[in-house]
Amino acid sequence: MLTEARRNNDFSAGDDFVSKVGTITSENPRMTARGVDVHYGNKHAINNVSLDVGENEVLAMIGPSGCGKSTFLRCLNRMNDTIDICQVSGEIKLGEQDIYDKDLDVVPLRSQVGMVFQKPNPFPKSIYDNIAYGPRIHGLVSSKSELDELVETSLRRAGLWEEVKDDLDKPGTGLSGGQQQRLCIARTIAVSPEVILMDEPCSALDPIATAKIEELIDELRENYTIAIVTHSMQQAARVSQRTAYFHLGKLIEVGNTDDIFTNPKHQLTEDYITGRFG
Amino acid sequence: MNKSMQGKTIEQVNASLARRYAKDRRFRRLGLAAIFSGLAFVLMLFGSIVSNGYSAFGQTYLRLNINFDPQLLGVAPLQNGAGYELKTLQQGDYGALVKAALRAEFPEVKSRSDLRELYSLISSGAPRDLQQMVLSNPAIIGSSQSLWLIADDDIDMVVKGYINRKVAESERRVNDQKIAWIEQLEAKAAVARQFNTRFFTNGDSREPELAGIGGAIMGSFYTLLITLVLSFPIGVSAAIYLEEFAPRNRWTDLIEVNINNLAAVPSIVFGLLGMAVFINFMQMPRSAPLVGGLVLTLMTLPTIIIASRAALKAVPPSIREAALGIGASKLQMVGQHVLPLALPGMLTGAIIGMAQALGESAPLLMIGMVAFIVDVPAGIYDPSTVLPVQIFLWADSPERAFVERTSAAIMVLLLFLLLMNLVAILLRRRFERRW
Repeated sequence: MLTEARRNNDFSAGDDFVSKVGTITSENPRMTARGVDVHYGNKHAINNVSLDVGENEVLAMIGPSGCGKSTFLRCLNRMNDTIDICQVSGEIKLGEQDIYDKDLDVVPLRSQVGMVFQKPNPFPKSIYDNIAYGPRIHGLVSSKSELDELVETSLRRAGLWEEVKDDLDKPGTGLSGGQQQRLCIARTIAVSPEVILMDEPCSALDPIATAKIEELIDELRENYTIAIVTHSMQQAARVSQRTAYFHLGKLIEVGNTDDIFTNPKHQLTEDYITGRFG
Repeated sequence: MNKSMQGKTIEQVNASLARRYAKDRRFRRLGLAAIFSGLAFVLMLFGSIVSNGYSAFGQTYLRLNINFDPQLLGVAPLQNGAGYELKTLQQGDYGALVKAALRAEFPEVKSRSDLRELYSLISSGAPRDLQQMVLSNPAIIGSSQSLWLIADDDIDMVVKGYINRKVAESERRVNDQKIAWIEQLEAKAAVARQFNTRFFTNGDSREPELAGIGGAIMGSFYTLLITLVLSFPIGVSAAIYLEEFAPRNRWTDLIEVNINNLAAVPSIVFGLLGMAVFINFMQMPRSAPLVGGLVLTLMTLPTIIIASRAALKAVPPSIREAALGIGASKLQMVGQHVLPLALPGMLTGAIIGMAQALGESAPLLMIGMVAFIVDVPAGIYDPSTVLPVQIFLWADSPERAFVERTSAAIMVLLLFLLLMNLVAILLRRRFERRW
């Protein structure tokens, strides 16, 4: 049964076949998702996913294209709201707050749960204004000197300060790809979120820029909760403490990163990380 | 097997190569021919307009000795001898001065009918010029001066060569006697062509030599002002709402279809609508730039909305996500990130819409902007006409001198259109941002 299903590439055959493996809970959860389903029109993009994102840990989400890992990530700060046909059900909590509560305002939610996107997307404004935008709209600073300081600390934390400190008034779009992505990370941490979501943040970058960002993610873990979607299994192994493997909209296996990569329990996980498909 | 197949392939390719390249060349020649024929037509059009119209920028003047005789004028000095009363100066018979000067120039002309012919050498606008001179400087009363007076349009046409002096008298508008007088004056160097400032400052007139596009330009200006002030904010707001805020449902689909349809509605229909709604129902003044601007607003709104929506659509979604991702509200995202990036495109759309409105005449005919209006309008409630309608009116006039004025007005209109398109291009170049 198992081999035949795999030969036909029919992984959805039978619910037993894709049953969850591992512990979905974290010791110290910051965000908890329970029974999340996402539909794009008629398409069932995520099927009954339950997963915790723990405090001060990096959760990596891996899986083949179209498996729903990015969709799940975007549920965590309601970025899917911008897509009209997208419908989310289930429960996602930030701390004790249900973020899909009818009365919840997405503006404060997104200041608590920041996001870094696949393609670096700095605003076509100066480097300074890119960082200062978030604190300005949220009214986080009261004076120009305070803002200057916040811009500097954000850029320092993102490891970009030394490279751009003399060019703060130059456009952010003029930086290299890796610098732009670090600028976007600095922009995200400038509003002091609790959780940072990263959607394949290194997929458009070269190996050296990627290494810098990975180093940065490791440092940021001390202060933030991070969920990262990645296509690179090496990256997941390097930066994360826990790893979740998604397949066709379902959460297949989740556990400590070391366990997943050295001793995968589920056949699909093993096939994916050993490169048999994906 | 494989080797022989490869040999065959290269044979086939070589055999068909010449044919394929020939097709390529034929297509290129066809394209070039299309472009050159298009250019040729444009050049012909511009050539005919310019060659017809350039002479309207000059105007014939005749030099006469004007004697500012107070008795002829019919003005008497004040009792105390200190100059003249303004009112008497305004009512003076300045035409008599011109007639006297002409009689002095040609003393041999005696009969009544000949004199009438003689007097018609000078435009009926000349006495007004003399009046202005006297009003600005009453001290010249009593003196005698050699002045350039504006000639009648027929004389202008003869001097410019549009009326051929060689053809038989019965076949031309100006009789032999007048031509003899002109030649006499020419011999004395008393005929000259000067720059035609009246053409740019005057309103319309029955006398071609006094007619100008000043009124039409001001009318166009006020009309476009109203159009811009109304259509740009309304169009941009509508575009932003439809593109960024409106839910996607049957109603918004219906609105979108209707906006696209409105862009294709013949402009005269907007004129009828304007007449029914603004003039008959709302009792706004007829022939006023206010109503013209409102009608043209209706006409340009779809253009501006469609262009603005396209500009908003062209802003990359990554910028929207970036703004939303750090917690900007929807209005902040649109106002601070999307709108600045879309604005150059919106401005271009608006200017192209304005250029369209500037060249529009049909809807304005419906609301009475086709009236014969001599005064230059001073505001949005004054009766006025616009450049394209002025061109239409002059093209309809029988006098030969209106032919060149029509072409000259077209040149001015085209110049404005070129300027507007240039501004649109410059704005786009200046503010366009690339990623």
